[in-house]
Amino acid sequence: MTIAPELSDQVVSELADAVGGQHVLTSKTARYNRARVPAPFPVHRWAERVPDLVVMPASTEEVAEVMRIANAHRIPVVPRDGGTGLTDGAVPERRGIIVDVKRMNDVKAIDTDNRTCTVGAGINMLKLNEVLAPYGLLYPDDPASYPCSLVGGRIGTSGWSLIGSRYGHSRDLVLSFSFVLPTGRVIRVGDGGGPKVSKSSTGYQLKHLFMGHQGTLGIATEATLKLIPKPEAELSPFWAFPDYDSAHQCVQKLAHAGVATFAGAVLFDEWKVDYLRRDDEAYIPQPADVRALVCAVAYGNADEVRAGGKRFMRIARDAGARYLGDEISQGDWAARHDRYATPLHGRTRAGQVVPMSWHCEDSAINWTDLPQVRLEWHRIADDLRRRFDMFDDWGIFAYTSAATGVDYLTEIDIGIWEQELDDESWTAWVQAKKDIAEVAVRHGGSISACHGACRDGEVDLVPVELGGAFDVMLDVKRAVDPNNIMNPGKYLLDRAYETEVE
Amino acid sequence: MTDVPPRQSPAPEEQAGGAADTGHNGGNGHSPVTVEFLSEWRNAAYNCYSSGHKFCREVCPVMQVTRNENHTPTAFHANVVAMEQGELTVEDVAEDYVNCTQCGACELRCPNTLFTGDFYRFRTRTVDLVKRMRALAVDNGVHQPGYQRWNELTDERSHEPVLGDTPVSQEHVRDWAGGLDIPIGGETVLFVDCEAAFYRTSLPRAVAQILRRAGYEFGLMTEQWCCGGPAAEMGYRDQARRFAEHNLADWRAAGVRRVLVLDPHDYITFTEDYPEFFGDDFDIEIVLVVELLAQLIAEGRLTPTVPIERTITYHDPCRLNKRKGVWQEPRQILGAIPGLTFHDVDRVTQWSYCSGAGAGLPIERPEIARKISENRMDEAAQLEVDTLVSACPWSERPLAEAGQDRAIDVVDIHELLAESLGIDVGGRTRA
Amino acid sequence: MTGYRYHEQHTPPPARQVTDVAVERFEHIFEVDPKLMTAHVAQQLFPNWDTLRIAASRGDHLEWMHRHWAYQVISAQELLDEIESEQPG
Ligand SMILES: Cc1cc2nc3c(=O)[nH]c(=O)nc-3n(C[C@H](O)[C@H](O)[C@H](O)COP(=O)(O)OP(=O)(O)OC[C@H]3O[C@@H](n4cnc5c(N)ncnc54)[C@H](O)[C@@H]3O)c2cc1C
Ligand code: SF4
Ligand code: SF4
Repeated sequence: MTIAPELSDQVVSELADAVGGQHVLTSKTARYNRARVPAPFPVHRWAERVPDLVVMPASTEEVAEVMRIANAHRIPVVPRDGGTGLTDGAVPERRGIIVDVKRMNDVKAIDTDNRTCTVGAGINMLKLNEVLAPYGLLYPDDPASYPCSLVGGRIGTSGWSLIGSRYGHSRDLVLSFSFVLPTGRVIRVGDGGGPKVSKSSTGYQLKHLFMGHQGTLGIATEATLKLIPKPEAELSPFWAFPDYDSAHQCVQKLAHAGVATFAGAVLFDEWKVDYLRRDDEAYIPQPADVRALVCAVAYGNADEVRAGGKRFMRIARDAGARYLGDEISQGDWAARHDRYATPLHGRTRAGQVVPMSWHCEDSAINWTDLPQVRLEWHRIADDLRRRFDMFDDWGIFAYTSAATGVDYLTEIDIGIWEQELDDESWTAWVQAKKDIAEVAVRHGGSISACHGACRDGEVDLVPVELGGAFDVMLDVKRAVDPNNIMNPGKYLLDRAYETEVE
Repeated sequence: MTDVPPRQSPAPEEQAGGAADTGHNGGNGHSPVTVEFLSEWRNAAYNCYSSGHKFCREVCPVMQVTRNENHTPTAFHANVVAMEQGELTVEDVAEDYVNCTQCGACELRCPNTLFTGDFYRFRTRTVDLVKRMRALAVDNGVHQPGYQRWNELTDERSHEPVLGDTPVSQEHVRDWAGGLDIPIGGETVLFVDCEAAFYRTSLPRAVAQILRRAGYEFGLMTEQWCCGGPAAEMGYRDQARRFAEHNLADWRAAGVRRVLVLDPHDYITFTEDYPEFFGDDFDIEIVLVVELLAQLIAEGRLTPTVPIERTITYHDPCRLNKRKGVWQEPRQILGAIPGLTFHDVDRVTQWSYCSGAGAGLPIERPEIARKISENRMDEAAQLEVDTLVSACPWSERPLAEAGQDRAIDVVDIHELLAESLGIDVGGRTRA
Repeated sequence: MTGYRYHEQHTPPPARQVTDVAVERFEHIFEVDPKLMTAHVAQQLFPNWDTLRIAASRGDHLEWMHRHWAYQVISAQELLDEIESEQPG
């Protein structure tokens, strides 16, 4: 039903009328370069994911018109913003039209009285904050992809922020947005009807529903965001521990301390420390008894950050930590966006440098389960590496998601030598991803805390994780997108239409 | 799988390096030069492809205008992988590579350069890739009409066909120096780029007279040709090499040991293209004039005293700031000039600024280049300055045009210094 | 002043072994032990200016990132010193 029809000249000319001919891209390079995101995939199968064409609309109205055309012709539509998403969300599975929203990147309004701004979905947070800086304001959505992901993609994934323990995550920071439904109808979704409301109790709370759906329900075009005063002060101490268990204890004590300026804490396990010793200037010279690390981060008014910071320093000292010094602490925190996807971290079993793609499995895990999940995950990764000399265990980070320490975004980073991937190793990898997800679900966590879970492997476990809620998801999908044009194939949502097809 | 020895071909100077595993690209119907290109660029391309994180996007001046993912460094590298996989051909990709000023922002901001490039001695080289892909297109007979014409005219005249009143030809290349009595030859010569020699003649006049004021001896070339850099940037490598050979021969014949360079583009050519062409044989010292002037001021050999009552900002030329890390010396010079009110924008913020003038973009995509210039001047306008100072002659014409609507003068740093030294420069600055 | 000279640029300082896998040529700039890049990915020809430019730019970038997020960075060492002086041991 949703196999893309050959896009007729008729469709192309309708689209050209909608967005302007020069914004309908049909060249091979336009299509091939929108068939990928940073998540590894066998290079030899690239052609499977190429769209039929790309449109680059400039307004909500243009997006609505594109959607009406696509719906009328039953053509798949895949929204694409920064193209940094790590679950293949912005990659078409059934060809069709890529709606690339990057041209919609203007700052439409800055409201200093209510501390909001309204922006196009194609704007980047770093660029937005350059515009906000003269007003002393900041939009604090801070993923590691801060320099490259865009507001529409943050909505499409319901993203996770490194300093979310203090300022909230995308869902808390996006107050409302214009949303184009698959029929072409435009609605405003937010906490209530007013665009600048942060808490409402009117009707169903639809904002959550229309965030994190990976483009399967429609397209966000314009968003109103909550702003904070640019913090007076930043503090980011890093500490070393001789063993994982004491670091694990310490990180939760920091989260439990109730410090108001606490913006997040991170726990690095032994594998992560070994990995950093390969090429990170801060850790190459560290003595061998550094086996695990913790960092805590605070933002806010200088006096408050100082007071809270002293508490952190005391807690860590009492937990047996060694402070790593200002240079490492400050430098590592400022480098927080840059140290993930660096291919030359990759090593063969013989220790040779090879370019590896970064895969990040990003579950939500409760603190109590971290030690066990970590061991089970590493076992899966080690098994892969033993079988194929193209996988590499890059260690685990666990980051607080909330100020209370309830759960941690827990990521195992695995390097994959894409140049060498073949069908056999890919199949083994998909199984490993499934196994990793199974561990998270079995430990009462969630498969994904930030990226989403629609890649091969983990997606099979989504109905297991969600249970009856997954059935409601199917009902919603069918109701909102009767023709299954929005990003078809993702999240097993085809099941919503199975009875109709038969 | 076992580790195999690397292909033992000498990597060209400052090139992709990254000798490939053997036996991978398999031909896929590509021409022999393309096959060779793909094996040379394979690891460099994968090093980006396997990151794919696009930290390069928002600093790219072209992307800021077009927002079109085809124009990203990510795509520039991914295309190589797609060619290797047999999915794309040089014909498919060639035109996309015109969308680049070779400003170097992307490759510097790329974590694979900024965080690990020095560690692995392997960094992202988008600029080199764009140059090489343009050259590969030319080698495969795929030409961009504007580039082709520009390089034909350059070849005919031995200088770029810059627009202006001075006819571009060999007889006129030293016209700018009229009345200054600069000798020919000597151990040190001043090299003047085509834009400054034929159009913005006030600039080389300023430089020449400042150096003379400091008692710094230099001469001019016997027969200066275009440095060849623009041909290299647009993919006409054979021509670039011919020009380079001519200039090197001219220097050798005159016993030149040191070349002073006032144009950042020439500085790149002499410190990146010439070493690549000549390798170990390249024994000429290349001195950037802004660095020299900053030093002469620091040593007390130049003391600007005439106050200049302007409120300025400084435009970091891409080829100095991003590509060479030269940003302090121009600020030292500005700091020495009395009377200026300086609203500086730090050099990291300026990674995402560009005049739009580089690498032939205005030839093939004038509308994008113009928009980049306008964006740059919008940034300046927010600072409420009356003057933007640049250190790159190629940036000054387009920025001055964009500055007109915003009531901002564009002034060259060498000329500003000359003014503060009380030198009446002469020559022309504007059409 | 000295400008660019090819031979100078292509004569890096000698390497000092720092760990099994890393060496140091320029002060505070570590590099991979070149023997790890002999099988699959060969190192590029890297003039000295480029190494120094990247290392300096990294520092500038990190400093920029601090300023981008907050007006000041608080020294945790200072806080630790205060704690130590308030309650020794
Ligand atoms: C180095 C690196 C670090 C990362 N760190 C983090 C992190 O710390 N936290 C985190 O949350 N994520 C992180 N990510 C993942 C990624 O950056 C986020 O998922 C981000 O939200 C994606 O934004 P994007 O603009 O790139 O969206 P895209 O990749 O273009 O799209 C993501 C999804 O949203 C959909 N979508 C895009 N635009 C719209 C729209 N306008 N309306 C509706 N749906 C839309 C797409 O169809 C797709 O399913 C990281 C990625 C990288 C490469
Ligand atoms: S050039 Fe660098 S920043 Fe850009 S996608 Fe490639 S690796 Fe990432
Ligand atoms: S060199 Fe400059 S213009 Fe070219 S791709 Fe990089 S950032 Fe863009």
